[in-house]
Amino acid sequence: MSYCVNCGVELNPGAARCPLCGTPAWKPKKDAAPYFPTRPAVIDPAPRRTAALILSSMLASVVVCCGLLNLVFIPDKPWSLYIIGAAVMLFIWFVLPLCLRLPLPLRLSLDVIAVGIYVWLISLSVGGGVWFRGLAMPILGLICVLVFLLSLLLRGGRHSRLTVLSLSIGAAGLLLLGVEYFVNRYAHGVWAPGWSLVTSAVCVALIIPLRVIRRVPALRAEVRRRFNF
Amino acid sequence: MDSAAILYSSLQSERYSSTYRFSAQMTERVDPEALQRAIDLVMPRFPGFAMRIRRGFFWHYLEPNQAPGPFLREDVSDPCQPFRFQGDNHWLIRFYYFDRRISIELFHALSDGAGALVFFRALLAAYLRERGCDIPAGGDLPDLAAPPPPREREDAYSRYAGARTLHEPKKPRAFPNTGTPEPFYTFHVTMGFVPAGQLRTLARKNGASVTEYLAAVLIQVILERQERLHPARLRPVTLAVPVNLRAFFPTETLGNFITTVAPFVDPRLGDYDFAEILAQVRAYMKLHVNRQELRAAFTGNVRLTRNPILRVIPLAFKTPIMALSYRLRAVRPYSCTLTNPGVFTVPDEMRPHIARMEVVLGQATVPRCHCAAITYGDTTGITFAGALAETDTERAFFRYLVRQGLPVRIESNR
Repeated sequence: MSYCVNCGVELNPGAARCPLCGTPAWKPKKDAAPYFPTRPAVIDPAPRRTAALILSSMLASVVVCCGLLNLVFIPDKPWSLYIIGAAVMLFIWFVLPLCLRLPLPLRLSLDVIAVGIYVWLISLSVGGGVWFRGLAMPILGLICVLVFLLSLLLRGGRHSRLTVLSLSIGAAGLLLLGVEYFVNRYAHGVWAPGWSLVTSAVCVALIIPLRVIRRVPALRAEVRRRFNF
Repeated sequence: MDSAAILYSSLQSERYSSTYRFSAQMTERVDPEALQRAIDLVMPRFPGFAMRIRRGFFWHYLEPNQAPGPFLREDVSDPCQPFRFQGDNHWLIRFYYFDRRISIELFHALSDGAGALVFFRALLAAYLRERGCDIPAGGDLPDLAAPPPPREREDAYSRYAGARTLHEPKKPRAFPNTGTPEPFYTFHVTMGFVPAGQLRTLARKNGASVTEYLAAVLIQVILERQERLHPARLRPVTLAVPVNLRAFFPTETLGNFITTVAPFVDPRLGDYDFAEILAQVRAYMKLHVNRQELRAAFTGNVRLTRNPILRVIPLAFKTPIMALSYRLRAVRPYSCTLTNPGVFTVPDEMRPHIARMEVVLGQATVPRCHCAAITYGDTTGITFAGALAETDTERAFFRYLVRQGLPVRIESNR
C-alpha cells in the first residue's frame, strides 16, 4: 500500500504521485493495473462547420436575391449594398468564429473591420467616398486599434476591476480625443482641441485616483470598507 | 417532458450537457458480450431510457428511439462527455466497461439519480444472470418479461404540483469556487473511498446525517479557499443539494423528481468554526426540507412550463432566455453541488459480485467541481469531478476526513 506523506491518503499502488497535492509516491508499482482507463474519448467532429455552412448559405442567398432584385427594382440606386453590407458584417461577426478559432483581440478587431466594410458600402451607395475616407475610416481605424490593445491587455480576465475600469476609461478618453481630431481635420483642416480636452482631463482625473487606490493596499481596503465593495 | 427535462434540454449545447454517471466495480472482470446481452434485455423493459430528443418549434420533446443500439463500448479516460442530440444514433444513454467496472452515463432529461439507480440495478442483475447467477426478480428488481407499467413514466412534478409557488427572496451571488479551466473534453475525476460505517459514526457523533456532515465539510473547505484567495469581496458559500422528492410524494416514476435546497454560510457575518457550520447546515435542512416547501419550490417550475405566454414563444427565443435564467438562478447563487443518492441496495444474491459503487456528476457550466457520494456495503465513494486544473477543494476535503481519523483511499484520472 502506498500513502501520500503530505495528505495522509492511501494511493493507488501504481500512482506515481498524489493526485491531490502532486507529492511523488514512494516506489510506485509500474505494473499495477490502472484504476481509470487511459483511452481518450473519441470525439465526434463538432457540428460547428455545419452551422457555419447553413448560415453562410442563408446569407449568400439573401445577397444574391437582393443583388438580382436590385437590377429590376429601382436599378438606378444601389440599395442592395445596404443588405450586402449587413450580410458581410453578420458573416464576419457570427460565421467566421464558427470556422476559425481566433484569439479574442483579433476577433474584436475583425468585428470593427466588418462595421467598416458596412459603412464603406453605405458610402458607395450614397456617393460618400469623401466623408468615408476623411472621417469614418480614421475613426473606425482608431476604434479598431483601441479595441485590439484593450482586449490584448485585459486578456485572461486576471486583472482587478480597478485596472479594467482605469484602462477602459483611458481608452474612452483617447477615442474622444481622436474623434475630435478627425472631425476638426475633416471639417476645418486644422486641429483645434476643445471639448475633447475636457473629457480627457475628466478621464485622467478618474484614472489617477483609481491607480492610486489600486497601488496602495491600505487605501484599497479602506475604500472597500467604506463603499461596502 | 417534465419541467426538469425541459430545462436540461434547453441548456444543451455542443460544450455542455447535464450528464451523470453511475459505475459498479464488480469482483470479476466484465464480460462485454454478456453485458451487451443484458443491455438488450433491459432496454425494452425501461422505454423511458430508450428515448431521443427532437427539437420542435416551441419545445424539445422526447420520442422513442428506434435506432440500433445502444451499444456497449470500452470506457474512456474522461467520462461524462456532452451528449449531442444528433450524434450516437440519438441515444441519451451510454454504457461502458473497463476491467471490472460497468458504467452507465445518462442525460439528465431522461431520469434523475434515483430513477437511474433502479435501471442500473436491473442491468446489473440481468448481467449477472447472463453470467450464470440465479437472481430472482421481485422486490427492487423488476420482472424484465413484464410490460413496463405506465406509472414509471408519469410526470410526478405535474401530479404533485400545488396551488402556491415559493416566493423566496433572490439568492445572493455565491463564491463561485472556480479555477483555471482545462481544455475542452478534459474532465478530472478524483474519488475518495471511506468506510461507510466509520463515516456514519462520525456524522452521528456530530449529531448530523452523512449528507449534512459532508455538506458542512465541503462548505468549510470552500470557505477556507475563499479566504486564501482574498477576493475583492467575501460572498456566501452555498451548496446545491438535490433532494429526492419520492421520499415525500409517493410515486414510482423513473423520470426526474428532484428539487434543490441550498444550505449556506455567509462569512460576511463573521468567522464560523466547523461546529457552527454544521449547526447552520442542519438547521437549514430541518427548516426547508419539508413536504410543503418542497412542493411549493417545484410548483413554480411546473407553472412556468404551463405559462401561456412562454408556450407560444418559439424555442429559438426560449432557449437563450432559459439559459440566462439558469445562469442567474442556478449557477450564480451556488458554489458547488453536493449530491448523495444514499445507500445502493441489491438483493443478497447480487452482493458477492459487486465490490463498490461510484457516482460522477458531469461537468458544470463554469469551471468548478461537483461532489457526489454513494454508499454500497461498507464503502462510501465520494467523487469530485470537474474541468478545472486546481485540486484545492478535494485536497482540503479529503485531508479533513483524514484528520478526523477516517482512512481515505484516493483514485484519480489526473
